[in-house]
Amino acid sequence: MKQNRNVKALISDYFIFVIFIVLVVGLTILKPSFIQPGNLANILKQASINGILSFGMMFVILAGGFDMSVGSTVAFAGIIAALLGNGDYPLILPLIAAMVSGLCVGIVNGVGVAVGELPPFIMTLGTMTGVRGLALLISNGKPITGISPEYRAVAAGSVAGIPMLAVFLVIVIIICSFVTSKTVYGRRVYACGGNLQAARVAGINTTMIRISTFAIAGLLAGFCGFLMTSRVTIGQPTAAESYEMDAITACVVGGVSMSGGVGKPWGVVVGSLLITVIANGLDILGVSSHWQKIVKGLIIVLAVLIDVKGKGKKN
Amino acid sequence: MEYILDMKDISKTFPGVVALDHVQLQIKPGEVHALMGENGAGKSTLMKILMGIYTMDPGGEIQFDGKPYHASNPKEAMDQGVAMIHQELNPILDMTVYENIFVGREMKKNGLVDKKGMIEASKQLIQECGLHVSPTETLRNLTVAQCQLIEIIKAISVNAKVIIMDEPTAAITDREVELLFGHIRRLTEKGVAIIYISHRMDEIFSICDRVSVYRDGQYIGTGTTKELDEPKLIQMMVGREITDVFPKLEAEIGEVIFEANHITRADNKVKDVSISVRKGEILGLGGLVGAGRSELVEGIFGMHKLSQGEIIVKGEKIQVKSPRDIIRKGVALITEDRKVTGLNLSGTVNDNIAMVAIKKLLSHGLYSRKRANKASLEYIEKLKIKTPSGEQIVGNLSGGNQQKVVLAKWLLNDPDVIILDEPTRGIDVGAKRDIYLLIGSLVQQGKAVIMISGEIPELMGVCDRIMVMCEGNLSGEVHRDEFSQEKIMTLASAIQV
Repeated sequence: MKQNRNVKALISDYFIFVIFIVLVVGLTILKPSFIQPGNLANILKQASINGILSFGMMFVILAGGFDMSVGSTVAFAGIIAALLGNGDYPLILPLIAAMVSGLCVGIVNGVGVAVGELPPFIMTLGTMTGVRGLALLISNGKPITGISPEYRAVAAGSVAGIPMLAVFLVIVIIICSFVTSKTVYGRRVYACGGNLQAARVAGINTTMIRISTFAIAGLLAGFCGFLMTSRVTIGQPTAAESYEMDAITACVVGGVSMSGGVGKPWGVVVGSLLITVIANGLDILGVSSHWQKIVKGLIIVLAVLIDVKGKGKKN
Repeated sequence: MEYILDMKDISKTFPGVVALDHVQLQIKPGEVHALMGENGAGKSTLMKILMGIYTMDPGGEIQFDGKPYHASNPKEAMDQGVAMIHQELNPILDMTVYENIFVGREMKKNGLVDKKGMIEASKQLIQECGLHVSPTETLRNLTVAQCQLIEIIKAISVNAKVIIMDEPTAAITDREVELLFGHIRRLTEKGVAIIYISHRMDEIFSICDRVSVYRDGQYIGTGTTKELDEPKLIQMMVGREITDVFPKLEAEIGEVIFEANHITRADNKVKDVSISVRKGEILGLGGLVGAGRSELVEGIFGMHKLSQGEIIVKGEKIQVKSPRDIIRKGVALITEDRKVTGLNLSGTVNDNIAMVAIKKLLSHGLYSRKRANKASLEYIEKLKIKTPSGEQIVGNLSGGNQQKVVLAKWLLNDPDVIILDEPTRGIDVGAKRDIYLLIGSLVQQGKAVIMISGEIPELMGVCDRIMVMCEGNLSGEVHRDEFSQEKIMTLASAIQV
């Protein structure tokens, strides 16, 4: 009996992973070209920016928050990077400028939520709108062109066949997994999300922890902005629209609880790969993009439904 | 017909656990019948079967009002005349009194909601109950006791013949308890039977007619409160005789280690209160609900703003702006409500133990699961926490075990001064005794303990000295050699000028 329960628990814990494998195998059978190295590299490329954003989002959600503004921040940071990336300065400058501008947006969000006690949804809805406006203002509403060849090479390059973008993603995954599971800071993020009041009574500086999670999300969004400009070779003020939704989807599908305190980095990895694989698979199967949206919507709801039902049984 | 409710041969098996093993319960019309037993004895499972939340195993039989009874959900139970008032009340706070009374069975007129009719009907019910609230008042503006009465009115309005009350006095003041008992008596005069679940002995003996005791899913016996006494009941509940309900370990009392002087809270819930405690001493804080005891310790602990006051730990005056500042000096506060301020319920035992003293679980500066497991194993053993491992989610543990996890979390930090706010509320006799022994061993190690409790016998049994609060003020101090229930009660209800 007990054995049986454990197996069930294991399946419900790794359910998303199982779905992912089934999906990959299924697509390979339907379209053998799916598994070609060229296509796999493409998937990794597509998954990278969303993946990095999802990890920032993961910190915010784990601490019990929520961030609507990361998509706008990507565009804003991308514009800043494009303005400084025309070859006049060493490449490190647009990188740092993009990340710092993302960080600033994150800190504003964090202070609004943790000090101003605004609901995260309201606060970041405000910055989502405002920062998008800022991106449009700086760029005068037009794409910024003329970025240097070295800058373009950042996203286009690859190491031993693996796209550079994917390398960046892997680095972010490793750092974030390490931080969440091994550092004092990481454990405190979980404590804040699990029960904010109890964490405060336990002597944890919950204000700083909450601000910092938004700061991490902003920082990573800034980094994504830098990569984004390199990838599309222009700074586009309207870029990355609704990316925050993809990041939230990856977290939720990957088992991060929207009420905070629960979730594992590997789940987020699988979540963001799953989204990309669905999009890519449906693409090569020739399914229209309208249908793709419907399928994506269904998967979000189903994944969370199974998650919630599975938890209900455990209690 | 002797019994209004007759449950026979009731069993309930969960995967791997027998929660109820052929138990029985017989309720007479118009009696108050107590269900007693330690946590996990099966009381709530039995009540959940009655309310249709659980399905019993085949073979059991329930007769209600002379007819076979079956309910597959709480609504069916209510329709047949069985209502339950839950320990954690769940009224809809933003709705009005009359809406709460009629929720789920709204009166209708021409297919639309009959607001007028419901308000009229509610008014009558409220008057009958001697309550002075308007039917259109929002529940948020009512006290806990008033909300409870609304629940009772709801039960009456469905013509319930049996009302289950689960820990009804957990959150109300003593005066309100008296009012509640008055309502219970009035109900029983009308022939309504009450099934009363409580851990408080004095209540059982003052309001109940008969008691049924359960232990580990077994039915132990039923008796009248006239023929039973407290030791006998405890023996039935725990299966062995407990001679000392309040074990007191000898400890040497040393110098003053903690002082809080002239504490006044910015919200004025505590006014100029000074307390101090010595090494090896257990100081009790007594008083009625709302006297400001929790408010005092929460103020000291930096959870609320103070307008005045100084805090001295081990001779050093410290500034407390947030709990961090005082934790650092070796003070711990086990708060009253473990679910709100004590535990990360979605985290594991390890996660919770790591909340305060994560620094003790590091290896090379990084969080080590191995160390966390080792530490939690140590406390699982020391405090007899019933959990399969440190990786268990705390939300899945029983109340007594959750409380022990809160204690473990703080003890890992090795504090010198430990403040316990109602550490034994809602937990059973056995677990209570474990906690008294633990407190005893802490003071033997030279630590100081401040303990808040609403139960005077508990304070008198455990403490060396009791300070009593009343309406935010300190009303007096009693030493162990002059302890008496009357003295403490008088101080607790003293009207201060």
